[in-house]
Amino acid sequence: MLDSLSSSLKDALKKLAGKTVVDRAAVDELVKDLQRALISADVNVKLVMELSKAIRTRSLDEPPPKVMSVREHVLRIVYQELVRLIWVSTDVKLEPQTILMAGLQGSGKTTTTAKIARYFQKKGLRVGVVCADTFRPGAYDQLATLCAKINVPCFGNPHEKDALAITRQGLAAFKELEVLIVDTQGRHALEVNLIKEIIELNVLTKATHRWLVIDAALGQQASEQARRFHEAIDIDGVIITKMDGTAKGGGALSAVAETKSGIVFIGQGETIEDLERFDPDGFISRLLGMGDLRALAEKAEEAMRVDDVDVNAMMKGKFTLRDMYKQLEALNKMGPLKQIMNMLPLGNMELPEGVYDVTSTKMVRYRIIMDSMTSTELDDPALINSSRMQRIAHGAGATPDEVRELLKYYKLMQRTIKGLRGAGGKFNMQRLMKRFSGMQ
Amino acid sequence: MFGGLRERLQAARARLAGSIQTAAASDLEKNSSHPPSHPASLEQPVQPASPTTPTLATKVKTFIIDRELIISEKELAGALDELEIMLLESDVALPVTDAVIAHVKKDLIGKHRRIGQSVDSLVVGTLKAALLNVLGKGFDLTEYITNHKHPVKILFTGVNGTGKTTTVAKIGFFLKQKGFTVVIGAGDTYRAGAIEQIEVHAERIGIKIIQHQQGADPSAVLFDAVQYAVSHKIDVVLADTAGRFHTKSNLMSQLDKIRRVMKPDLVIYVDEAVAGNDAVVRAYEFDRTIGADAVVLTKADMDSRGGAAISIAHTIGKPLMFLGTGQAYDDIIPFSPEGMVEELLGDV
Repeated sequence: MLDSLSSSLKDALKKLAGKTVVDRAAVDELVKDLQRALISADVNVKLVMELSKAIRTRSLDEPPPKVMSVREHVLRIVYQELVRLIWVSTDVKLEPQTILMAGLQGSGKTTTTAKIARYFQKKGLRVGVVCADTFRPGAYDQLATLCAKINVPCFGNPHEKDALAITRQGLAAFKELEVLIVDTQGRHALEVNLIKEIIELNVLTKATHRWLVIDAALGQQASEQARRFHEAIDIDGVIITKMDGTAKGGGALSAVAETKSGIVFIGQGETIEDLERFDPDGFISRLLGMGDLRALAEKAEEAMRVDDVDVNAMMKGKFTLRDMYKQLEALNKMGPLKQIMNMLPLGNMELPEGVYDVTSTKMVRYRIIMDSMTSTELDDPALINSSRMQRIAHGAGATPDEVRELLKYYKLMQRTIKGLRGAGGKFNMQRLMKRFSGMQ
Repeated sequence: MFGGLRERLQAARARLAGSIQTAAASDLEKNSSHPPSHPASLEQPVQPASPTTPTLATKVKTFIIDRELIISEKELAGALDELEIMLLESDVALPVTDAVIAHVKKDLIGKHRRIGQSVDSLVVGTLKAALLNVLGKGFDLTEYITNHKHPVKILFTGVNGTGKTTTVAKIGFFLKQKGFTVVIGAGDTYRAGAIEQIEVHAERIGIKIIQHQQGADPSAVLFDAVQYAVSHKIDVVLADTAGRFHTKSNLMSQLDKIRRVMKPDLVIYVDEAVAGNDAVVRAYEFDRTIGADAVVLTKADMDSRGGAAISIAHTIGKPLMFLGTGQAYDDIIPFSPEGMVEELLGDV
């Protein structure tokens, strides 16, 4: 469903492609598709209307720069307008500070608190966490368990009912530490007593930062909630959680617009390391379903050297086991396959389900098996017959069935890459790379 | 609750009725002055009602009561666009909004309508039908438990942070008050503090809980809970599980294993009323992989617009069973679609 949306956006963009002058009807259509894409990503409807109006006016009024095609011109405006909306610099300073966490019930405050503690700890600061959630049963146990895992002191008392008292004691106990994070109970803007409590907590802690935690799936309600939290404690940063699901996080965008702050972190997983600094390019691409090329490029750069994977050869259809080996190695450094695939601008292309099901442990097995192959076998997997299979299995300490499974996976990958090439044509990787880099 | 949605629906109702009346009025003008059907007047029947004098208004009234009216798409376009925006602003997912609009359109447009006493009742009737159409039927849990073999095993599923554990406690409390005996299986063995959380809940409401260590196999815990219920002749087993995303295939197959091992009579999908478009995607995925017999919607007290209720019910076609409306154990109300539609569209 969402894929069909982003593909209709792509169709609209395609229509602009051949044009030499900006065509009013085409722009109107594009704006309409853009509206639908943003609304189904949960961006506030009013915000979408304002945004699309600005895009429409600018696309029609501003003359496209000489070097740019009409499509690039319009895309650039779309991109710029979106960036203008979400990009407020939110430097996380590595200095002594107190952070107050706020958010709705079940948005992931406690998990995020532990993740942020880990973030600062890794940067070499001494961190302490105070559990001011006196309401939810098990809240202290949860935070204490998470903190124990990373060796961060956690202050709390499951029998104390007064959040202010706990926080006061916690602040005193952690006087020596550099970064203090205060986790609070979930609340929503209509709970007057709880809003009063968080105002008092804010006064008491003299928090340097007040961060609002927003579930990526939060809908139109996000604006309203963010506005009230902002009124109460002057939110200066937003954290989006649960970005590892299918939600697009448009609600967070509404929250950012409402609080005039920026997105600080993005949480995308259940382990304590799954926290990333916010990257506007990636976020926008995901919102529009257009592929996150910049983030991918950067991640890829970090993870592999240029000559590691020969994209050109792969695109020509020559994809050997050796390529797959390198790919697995690189992917291992980059994160789960599905996440990588999500970042590619494939949009409406269906990938076979099986491709994702290869877990990282399996990847390691695969690499060991490939280590047991000869060079010729790696270059030409068709050579592998049953006796070679026996030998490979023997050398890798695996069963012939596992070798067979690997070959099956290889064929699946090969088909996928071919399909990618097929879907390419106009949309091939390099041109897309070029187009996106031209946009910034 | 659902105040926002109600307000908006009322506005849409007025707008639709207005459009139809305007159409009728322009029809009347045309007929009374016998103008040749020049295209200009035909093309703009949707324009806001021209300031009608009282006499004309009375004329219109008698006129539309007596005659049949054909409503054209053009006449409703503006009002339908507004209805669309209003539904979207209320968190009704895009595809579901399309479905509601299509239903209203089909019902109102192109049909010869004999306008009886009021245009308003026609509009209200149509909107009600469209909403009931997507909301489906309710689900009576007490009746289900009474009519089925004990123990009735109920499995709760959903993504992280929607309120499964709290919902299990609330439903436990609800059933206990109805006179059933209940045991809770602490199947969330993953999240830190989850077992402690449900343990405290169970203790407070006085329900037996079956638990293992953190990190244990949830299937084993829930199997034990069922065994306990069988041997102690307990009426209902409530099985809590860890929150999981539909995109994690290993966690989804764990849930599948739980289902195979404990063989639940009911699988309840829990989601939050404040969720936006993603509610549809994940409800669909959960229903597809694990199945769902009914839905519980939590956090309905957050000035919610109720859109998620409409979206989820429409997407997976399963009834809504309860609404969670607060942090206390009795903050849970059985859902009735007629009741909700009545509340949304009833007279102000």
